Amino acid sequence: MPLFGTKTKSPQELVKSLKENLALLPNLKEKEYKKVSEEVSKTLQSIKTLLYGTADQEPATEQVAMLSTEMYQSNTLPLLIQNLARVDFEGRKDVVAIFNNLLRRQIGTRTPTEEYICLNHSVLIELVKGYENQEIALNCGMMLRECCRFESLAKILLNAPEFYKFFEYVEVSTFDIASDAFSTFKELLTKHKMLSAEFLEHNYDEVFMHYQSLLNSDNYVTRRQALKLLGELLLDRHNFSTMNRYISNPENLKLMMNMLREKSRNIQFEAFHVFKIFVANPNKPRPILDILLRNKEKLVDFLTRFHTERSEDEQFNDEKSYLIKQIKELRAPEEGES
Amino acid sequence: MEEEELVPGSDLFQDEIAFDQEELIDLNPMDIFDDDGDLHDLVIHRFESDQVVYQPHRHKVKLIGKYLMGEILGEGSYGKVKEVLDTETLCRRAVKILKRRKLRKIPNGEQNVQREIQLLKRLHHRNVIQLKDVMYNEEKQKMYIIMEYCASELQEMLESVPSKKFPIWQAHGYFCQLIDGLEYLHSHGIVHKDIKPGNLLVTNDETLKITDLGVAEALDIFANSDECRTSQGSPAFQPPEIANGLNTFSGFKVDVWSSGVTLYNITTGKYPFEGDNIYKLFENIGKGVYTIPDDVSELLADLLKGMLAYESDVRYTLQQIRQHPWFIKQHPRVLERVLIPPRQDDPEDILRSMTVIGCLSAMHYGNDEAGQEEDIAMVSDYQNAISGQDAVCANHDHEELKGNSGQNIVVDNEHSQASATAPQANGKSKSKKNSKSKFSSCKQS
Repeated sequence: MPLFGTKTKSPQELVKSLKENLALLPNLKEKEYKKVSEEVSKTLQSIKTLLYGTADQEPATEQVAMLSTEMYQSNTLPLLIQNLARVDFEGRKDVVAIFNNLLRRQIGTRTPTEEYICLNHSVLIELVKGYENQEIALNCGMMLRECCRFESLAKILLNAPEFYKFFEYVEVSTFDIASDAFSTFKELLTKHKMLSAEFLEHNYDEVFMHYQSLLNSDNYVTRRQALKLLGELLLDRHNFSTMNRYISNPENLKLMMNMLREKSRNIQFEAFHVFKIFVANPNKPRPILDILLRNKEKLVDFLTRFHTERSEDEQFNDEKSYLIKQIKELRAPEEGES
Repeated sequence: MEEEELVPGSDLFQDEIAFDQEELIDLNPMDIFDDDGDLHDLVIHRFESDQVVYQPHRHKVKLIGKYLMGEILGEGSYGKVKEVLDTETLCRRAVKILKRRKLRKIPNGEQNVQREIQLLKRLHHRNVIQLKDVMYNEEKQKMYIIMEYCASELQEMLESVPSKKFPIWQAHGYFCQLIDGLEYLHSHGIVHKDIKPGNLLVTNDETLKITDLGVAEALDIFANSDECRTSQGSPAFQPPEIANGLNTFSGFKVDVWSSGVTLYNITTGKYPFEGDNIYKLFENIGKGVYTIPDDVSELLADLLKGMLAYESDVRYTLQQIRQHPWFIKQHPRVLERVLIPPRQDDPEDILRSMTVIGCLSAMHYGNDEAGQEEDIAMVSDYQNAISGQDAVCANHDHEELKGNSGQNIVVDNEHSQASATAPQANGKSKSKKNSKSKFSSCKQS
């Protein structure tokens, strides 16, 4: 029993107080708002201590179990995310800590918070929308990436219409938010290989229509990151059919050829790693072959002078000479054969 | 035994002259011999071998490029693995020293090494060993492959305990990392083909690293399937389709099978299939009949059955493994962790501390003893080089005196070799400028 201060609240009381105060927040005027907001932060801190324990005290399993059950039953999680912007700075950090702790909680083979969110998609959607508010964007990003660890949650996120909002978020003018959004975006597309492979295959048109805008972005960072991720996605064996589809479209080839001539050498270099797949493809469709044939001389000439200072990079040089050889040997198919 | 770091005789002294400071500095205190023309006879005639081996441990300072050499970590069929310190970043590393002469004797040896380097350069994952640098010494016909430092390997840890297995929770931790690493390899179209506890390294912070891609196969990015035709992996870990000699088989499912045998092995201490010789073993694998010990939990048994399914079509995929309850389950930490065993040559050193420390202090403060003693110590180094032991190692190996008896003979052998190399060595010193290119460092992109 502590000598000073009030008796510690039970998990149920903590969640109840949190829920009630959160519900009040949207309709309060300044002075009262401040009071309730402080109360919320205090409660969040207690909850966090309960979950994480202190330096000399481990968290008590029973208390943690009671708290989580109460959180699910009272539906406090969605409320917490909805009102995140109304919580003060330290309080938001505590929300992230609490949310991620609950999400990681595991009983045997079960992860109850994951199961809860699967039934309450709104939590995920709210988190995605959090990117629209500068104040809470990074907090939401941290929680989203924790969600991405679960295949079931990643699946919900990928298949939600809100997923396409990421194509806007990665381009926002605030650099740290754009990069945070990009890392979440990348996580979603690469973490669960089979899941994202299926997603890309089934939503090819829509995804790549949006993706095109990233590759054409005015923002250098976006363009470069998007191009790099594109190369990674196409070269991942799980995305085999997506790659085949991508490299059969002459528009994509034209885009890459233009990017090879971009001002930025870094972009040129990343473009090379996508361009090489078009050329190396042993079964080039006619339109692709036609473009390559039409530009044969120019391409050979261009590639010969392309990034010659990278003499240390054996792999790059091997690939480059391979491409030059391939292009030199290109022949138009006999008439009637195609 | 063969000489390791030092080519007999003259080379020791030529190093100082021939190697550019930046590229290889051999700080062995041999300067006084520099003016001496005919060293080999002098040294060999003056000292008996038994006089020199008993010298106290001396740290010989040897730099290969920017890497300061430490002690031997292990020995493979291709050559030794030593601990090194990157003197620029102060990172602990391991170097695999390969000798072309040895490689030639192994079928596909050189090819396998080149392929492994090519593959590793492209890979960056927490659970796949990271290649840091590759250096060549054309003159000595040696190749130095610098990699991440790992404290131990699963096999060594298993052998250090009587039960030859890990507690379930510890095995689970390694297995999850193995699947992560394997998924990464597969996503890059690489079939490892030799997954086994001996090829899984562990760092001090318990991170597992898949190593030895010597027999791995990179699929063509346009290949429709993961069909493979050859396998050179370890027999006990091969699936029925290989044991039965099928012409083609799914590569990824081979890795799943060997991971299954690995999981079986690290959780039970046994192998699902055994045999007195490779024919018997393959016969047993080919039949596909095995038993799972009774004390294996139902969940684990179910996962093992899925991974060791006879037909590769129904064998689990990595995704199925990930979704399996045993994989997802949090296993209670009931039994004590199996620790990384102490170094064999120093049972006191339970933490496997850095072995380059001595060399480091020798490099910066020099060796304390002076005068006469130093002379002998130097010769001791030299003898070690001749007798074919690695100087650093031999100095340290107090218990390994068995090399002693045969030393005279060895010296004789090496004597002729030393004389034979002498003219060549003299030539070297003249072409001092050319030697700059001896170490061509190839950085990863």
